[in-house]
Amino acid sequence: MRWYIIRALLVKEWQRHLANRGGITLGFLLIALAVLLKASAPKGDSSGAGAGMIGGIKTCFLDYDRNSTLVTHLREHRTAEERQQIAFRPLPKADTVGGYIVYPTTTGGLQLRQIRAEDSATGRATIHISVWHPQGNPTALAPYEAWLWREIRRWNIAQAQVRGITPPPEPEFDSENQWLLTEAHKRFQDQVAAAVRNEEPDFDAKVAVFGAPLTVATSSKGQLVPDLEVKREGLGGDVLDLRGVIATGFIVFALYFTCVYLLPTLSCEERERGILLAQALSPASSLELVTAKALFYPVAGITLAALIAVVSQPVIVTRLFFWLSIFAVAGGFLGIGMTIAAIAKTQRAAFLGGMCYLMVVSMLLLISSLNDIPFLPYFAVEFHAPRILHAAINGRVERYHWGNLIGSAVLAVVWLTVAVRMFRRRGWQ
Amino acid sequence: MISLAGLRVLYGTFAAVDGLDLDIRRGELFGLLGPNGAGKSTTIRVLIGQRAPSAGSVHVAGYDVIREWDKVKPLFGYVPDRENHFEEFTGRRNLEFFGQLYNIPRSRAKEVLKMVELDEAGDLPVRGYSLGMRKKLLLARALLHEPQIMYLDEPTANLDIHSAEVVHRILRERVKHGATIILTTHNMEEVEQICDRVGIVCRGKLVALDSPLALKQQHTERKVDVIRKDGARLVFDMDNAASLADLSVLVAGGQVATMRTREFDFHATFLKLTGLAFD
Repeated sequence: MRWYIIRALLVKEWQRHLANRGGITLGFLLIALAVLLKASAPKGDSSGAGAGMIGGIKTCFLDYDRNSTLVTHLREHRTAEERQQIAFRPLPKADTVGGYIVYPTTTGGLQLRQIRAEDSATGRATIHISVWHPQGNPTALAPYEAWLWREIRRWNIAQAQVRGITPPPEPEFDSENQWLLTEAHKRFQDQVAAAVRNEEPDFDAKVAVFGAPLTVATSSKGQLVPDLEVKREGLGGDVLDLRGVIATGFIVFALYFTCVYLLPTLSCEERERGILLAQALSPASSLELVTAKALFYPVAGITLAALIAVVSQPVIVTRLFFWLSIFAVAGGFLGIGMTIAAIAKTQRAAFLGGMCYLMVVSMLLLISSLNDIPFLPYFAVEFHAPRILHAAINGRVERYHWGNLIGSAVLAVVWLTVAVRMFRRRGWQ
Repeated sequence: MISLAGLRVLYGTFAAVDGLDLDIRRGELFGLLGPNGAGKSTTIRVLIGQRAPSAGSVHVAGYDVIREWDKVKPLFGYVPDRENHFEEFTGRRNLEFFGQLYNIPRSRAKEVLKMVELDEAGDLPVRGYSLGMRKKLLLARALLHEPQIMYLDEPTANLDIHSAEVVHRILRERVKHGATIILTTHNMEEVEQICDRVGIVCRGKLVALDSPLALKQQHTERKVDVIRKDGARLVFDMDNAASLADLSVLVAGGQVATMRTREFDFHATFLKLTGLAFD
């Protein structure tokens, strides 16, 4: 292996891409898209997780009938992320079609109508709230509703304090909205206790009326309704991290594009036009020609993929799992690309070979997924690649991701072995 | 320098080259002629290591082309019949790239560009070159490392007269410096003009092998074409006494309107030897 030959071949590959800038343009386009993806992320979201989409809702409109201290309170009591997602809008300014307010796709609406006591049929001031959620997904606006209930309560407390009334202590607001349940239960306990106090001394008889299910929990006299404790546990999965998924897609595409598209098509173009023969008749050996290609394209792919990853998640360069993943995936794609290059005789055949491979693998993964076919997807690099790269990007590497990484590395070895065998058998044809 | 013994190349059951024996001496410019499909290009493909012989042996500079390919490879330069440049590179960059593979200085690219009179177009992309310019660039590439042996497949196809002369001059100079050259061509004048020896192959077999002069002597038709004043066309055989006498009578009688001796016609000789001549 002579370095001056390898260097000349590498420089040649680079200069060919400089002369035909399609590949370089696509690389820059991918980086630009990654930058756009990052720039459009909600402020303060350094992890890049989430895409500002809660339950498929990107924007929640809070449509109000008139400005009031309540609206001002709500407007001022939003977190940085809520400011991105909750848009205040006077009801008359909302887009309408045929008199009906229209909420575009990926948006929802909370309508706030404040009815004064003098305008009310009941003679009581009323806050009328309408929740407009996507059809078939009534909980899509749950996080926004939780915010609304909490802030309305806080506003009411503030109003009571202004009038010199000491309000009850603020419940422990939680992001999962359990305070609503515990408050309701507490109120029920208070109501039952009050009823019992009014009808003493016949306490035991009252217990009997409430029935057997409560007898175990009512061992102490004076507590008829047991306390309620609610505990929520995550199932271990994550909410779909759309930005991470898109960034992962860019990275996989960058590696696929360089190793399975550019490498075979440009190699076959050289073969078809006889340039490969000219190089093969020079002092450069077949091994040196292959080595240069096998160095240039994976390195280009890894560089591009790493740039995209760094744009999406700068801290990723320090993660060993990311580098292991990217090398394993690049190795697998290199083997696939070299195999196609060894089989295809023309540039068109190489291009179609890459497309056919992609289609076959996509169908394989889809059919396996739809029919719960086990193990079969494990034989595709494309099954493992997105999983390990996505885990590397969002920094949540679980034990099974290491399994995916090993699977990917094994497939890379298998494909590279196939590529070497095919090349030895068919050479430059 | 180049020795082919009993060379046989099969494509399936078809013998493209069928028992070819050939010895080409050092410093010889050898023309390999033959009709399309005669086996010329296959023979060249064997010599450049792109086709393994089905039988026979091929030695170049004493090395077996199959077994000692690594030693053979640096010795020759090859001009293919089909141009194969990097279209997006300039002519100079094409040569510099191959020069880097041969580990020779960049200045050599400039020298060979000047040699083939492409120095002015050297900095233009090859995609803008004419067919002739591309052909000359192929020759320039083959000359880069000053090889001892050159294989040229129709080197002057698509070249104008001047450029063809340039190529001829370069080849003769290379031969003068001891290089051995095999060229295939369909240009019979070119063969007569520059080749030291000619081998004519047909259906994979060698049907004639000699210098152009010897072939000329062997195959010149000693005949005279005469058109009489009354328009009749006659042919007289110079080797036949009776025919010569008839011609004398005709000339003496002033009946001849036009008379032309048949000179050596390589083209006709080629057709005759390859069995393709019209009856």
